[in-house]
Amino acid sequence: MNNHLSHAILNALADGELSAEQLAGANEHLAECPSCTSKALSQSLLKSATAKAGRRYAPPTQFQEHLVRLASEADSVGQGPGMRSAPLSPSRSHWGFESLGWATAALILLFTVSMMFVERAADRAKVASTEDAALVTEVFDQHVATLAGNMPLQVVSTDRHTVKPWFQGRIPFSFNLPQGLPSDTTLDGANLTYLRNQPVAQLLYSIGKHRVSVFLRQRSGATDVNALLTERSGFHVVSFSTIDLDAIAVSDVDPVRLSELVSSIKHAQAGEQQQPGRVGP
Amino acid sequence: MRIWKKTARATGPQTSAFECQALPLLPSLYNIAFWLSRNASDAEDLVQETFLKALRGFPSFEPGSNFKAWIFRILRNTYLTSRTGLEARRTVAFEDELNESRESGPAQIPEAAIDRQTPETNLLQMADRAALQAAMETLPPPLLEVILLCDVEEMKYREIADTLEIPIGTVMSRIARARTALRAALEANHRSSREIRA
Repeated sequence: MNNHLSHAILNALADGELSAEQLAGANEHLAECPSCTSKALSQSLLKSATAKAGRRYAPPTQFQEHLVRLASEADSVGQGPGMRSAPLSPSRSHWGFESLGWATAALILLFTVSMMFVERAADRAKVASTEDAALVTEVFDQHVATLAGNMPLQVVSTDRHTVKPWFQGRIPFSFNLPQGLPSDTTLDGANLTYLRNQPVAQLLYSIGKHRVSVFLRQRSGATDVNALLTERSGFHVVSFSTIDLDAIAVSDVDPVRLSELVSSIKHAQAGEQQQPGRVGP
Repeated sequence: MRIWKKTARATGPQTSAFECQALPLLPSLYNIAFWLSRNASDAEDLVQETFLKALRGFPSFEPGSNFKAWIFRILRNTYLTSRTGLEARRTVAFEDELNESRESGPAQIPEAAIDRQTPETNLLQMADRAALQAAMETLPPPLLEVILLCDVEEMKYREIADTLEIPIGTVMSRIARARTALRAALEANHRSSREIRA
């Protein structure tokens, strides 16, 4: 008997893994080969004995009960996969976890979006802060340049009805000038200048012997200079914003007096707001 | 087993789809876990972790596929990353790697080694359950797990391959090697018993 059954075939025979064709061939051979029959029987006996010997350990009752409790607790807190009343269809049993999964995904998405907004808000605040600092620097430089140079003001007048109309057609917005000014405060005139590449009205006031520049510009909407109050090299910067305007005042005068002037200008804007591009009377 | 079935039934309407499938397998999971970890405490830890992992991962389980192979795969992977599993792998890895090259095909066992055994001898030896259990304890984990899944859990080769994530040819060769090793251990035990009696 030259073509004995291989060990793989004998194992597969014992394990019931032979195809019908292989099984027929094996049976045909076993009918004629005592050696292979002996081996096949040995394999079957070994498998049977291993199966019995292998069933050796049983879980303690307490442990089983513990796991059942675990499953129940997971069910009660909604962590269980489809742990609803039985019998459940597979699709319904999955719905619990799917819902939980979607809810978790939604929470994560919400958290991510919130974080993006927070980060963007922080970024915007940082950018705004940087822009404010740059604006203050520019305002400061413009004011110092006005004081240092011998350049005459573009419009020289103490009359607000002369200064204000002068800007008509020169700036794309309008503003009001206060009728009454704080004591010892006079309007000297104005310049058309530029801040951040935007046309700006630079109003020149004197408070005593101190010069004040008040820059009015159309509000871009991106920044709010309401809270801008700073000091640099002995100069004070005070600002405010309205719906249409940003105003920044800079001077070396006492900040209280500077604030009084700024306040009067602010009140004037509140009394009459005008459309951009149209200079009021 | 009887106690377990009673407990499972007692859950009644609260029994979930997961519980219906997982809890009846608990004795089998525990048995395999104990064989692999070799002590009750580690076996309980292993089964509990497997149970919780399966519970969490059940949504990813495809309905209609082989739940038993799925949860046994979780058990096996949990074991491999456990302390006892890592120790066992360190111990047997070298030996197993040396022999792994033979796993692509049928085991190359000299026929004479088989011919020395007769069904009668095997029957006498296998009647001693303790001897067979002692022989099983000598098997390295890769061979022990495959023989447990095949003979005790009565899994098909394809299921074992899926569970252990190995090729089906490797399953076949490991089964052959495991049985050869068991025979050799039984034979050695039989010889030593005869020597003691003599």
